[in-house]
Amino acid sequence: MESFFVRYRNFLVLLAVLLAQMIGLAMQVRLADSGHNSLDLPDGKGVRLIRLWAEAMVAPPERFFHDSKLDAGLWWQNYVNLGHVRDENRDLQKTIDRLRLEQAELLEDAKEGQRLQALLGFQQKYVYKTLAAQDIGSSGSDASRVFYIDKGSADGLVRDMAVVTPDGIVGKVRDVFPHTAQVLVVNDQTSGAGVILETTRTRGILRGNAQGRLQVEGLLSDPRIQRGEKVLTAGGDMIFPRGLPVGVVEGVVPDPDRDSFIDVIVKSAAHLDRLDEVLVITSFEPDFPPGQQHDLATSVALKGADAQAIKEQQIREQQIKEQQKEQQKASDIMAERLPGLTNPNAPAPNPAATLVPGKAAQPGPAQATPAQPPAPKLLQPKRFDRFSPGAAPQPPAKAENSAPAGQGNKSASKPTSKPASKLQPPAHPQPAHTERNPQP
Amino acid sequence: MTVLGANYRRDLGIHRFPVLVYALTVLAALVLQAWLPRLLAGHAWFDLPLVVVVYFSLVRRDPVQGTLMGAAMGLFEDALTHHAIGVNGVAKTMAGFLAGSVGVRIDVENHTVRLLLTFLLSLLSSAVYVFVYRVLLGLDQQWNWVMELIKAVANVLIAMVLFPFLDRLQIRD
Repeated sequence: MESFFVRYRNFLVLLAVLLAQMIGLAMQVRLADSGHNSLDLPDGKGVRLIRLWAEAMVAPPERFFHDSKLDAGLWWQNYVNLGHVRDENRDLQKTIDRLRLEQAELLEDAKEGQRLQALLGFQQKYVYKTLAAQDIGSSGSDASRVFYIDKGSADGLVRDMAVVTPDGIVGKVRDVFPHTAQVLVVNDQTSGAGVILETTRTRGILRGNAQGRLQVEGLLSDPRIQRGEKVLTAGGDMIFPRGLPVGVVEGVVPDPDRDSFIDVIVKSAAHLDRLDEVLVITSFEPDFPPGQQHDLATSVALKGADAQAIKEQQIREQQIKEQQKEQQKASDIMAERLPGLTNPNAPAPNPAATLVPGKAAQPGPAQATPAQPPAPKLLQPKRFDRFSPGAAPQPPAKAENSAPAGQGNKSASKPTSKPASKLQPPAHPQPAHTERNPQP
Repeated sequence: MTVLGANYRRDLGIHRFPVLVYALTVLAALVLQAWLPRLLAGHAWFDLPLVVVVYFSLVRRDPVQGTLMGAAMGLFEDALTHHAIGVNGVAKTMAGFLAGSVGVRIDVENHTVRLLLTFLLSLLSSAVYVFVYRVLLGLDQQWNWVMELIKAVANVLIAMVLFPFLDRLQIRD
């Protein structure tokens, strides 16, 4: 038995080492819901410990190299290569002046956008707080496109924070250590970002391929997608804010796996292969300086006062309209309840004028004659008394020569059958008894 | 008789190095592998840890040492990536074991043979990596064999410079 182990010592050691690593690999892979194997996204404790050790060994020398390169570069630039410094300084001063003006304009635009966004109730997120970090190292493998930055959890970084440059998106924070962090670049095969094509508004998922190029896979064939179209972040992946530049369309190739589908090759806006300084988006919440916060509060207060004034004006107008409507309604009710209270001298309405609105009245024979005065309209009283129209009180002397009371009462009980048009106008009153009780 | 002959050749041609050389070479290979791609537009067209593993396995003529060194450096490389830890470890374990085994039977002083072995073991390491990743683990990943060929050639070029330099650091009786 001893000779067996001695003789096959090399193979046994090899098998033991391979077996241990295989078991470790099997513990890191799980079967996903889609049926494919995938790595555990959050590393286990043991795996994270190994990564922490490796990073702790590599990061200090990388920082040293990085700082040494910076120091050497600064030494060269500050003390040796001073040619054209005055010209550059003059040009830079002009640029600063121009940028100050542009900054003032942009600040006003930003304030206006803030107010409009609040008015419209948009929930779109803006980038408000970033943290600058230096790229200090990579994974050392083309199969894993990650790099390390010199900021970590001590600086407030957490997993899945977006990493960008002023040119465009770079990636996301994948793993965080105390003083460093690992960033997964968007051109890695396991990376992904929701993007939208600016003109055609086509949405897709951005991934990297084996050559490290960006591509949007699995889009329906669309002839409108042309080279040079801008690609922006769609904002649906909960990592990158909406509207950040991603790149431009470099070409369209058919999907090798599916017909009528295409892959859009994207040229990255950020220089993913020459990253030096990046920005980590640490917050989407507003973090304005005190001066800008005061301006925003003033604008919000003014906006509230304007809104209050407009609201009061609307209330007053509404009250006036309601009052007018009630008055109109009361007058209508009065007109319905008192139909006899019409002006007897008022001219009769022209029937031709009320036939058809907008249609001219046809001249007729009735219009050729002069208009007759309107006939007064009198109601028939149910019980005739002395207050009835035309029943004026008689003088006492004439009352003795009148008919007996019984006749008078009888005649009074009879309703008059004379047409109302034959009644005399009030200006020339006739004695009532001469009409109602004519003398024989 | 064969074993005795092999041990005899191994005892004759074994190279020894100061411990500091071991440590610094290994650490420098790992750090430079992680840092140099920044200067090469993000492309890692070489594998310094593999070159170091092949060299020490060859000159030490010990498969066990090659196995352990390959496993350690491979695991360290895996730890710097976002992939599963162990894929590179398995690949470099195989490379170290084969380099140590071959070193017993060949003349490791021949520079051409060492370069040829470096080229072949680079390709073997890439093949084992792909096999473990795609077949054993069942993970989906595209692969570019042209890049692996370029990487193998680059490793040979690095070995052409590094091997003579490390030969000068060995302990001579």
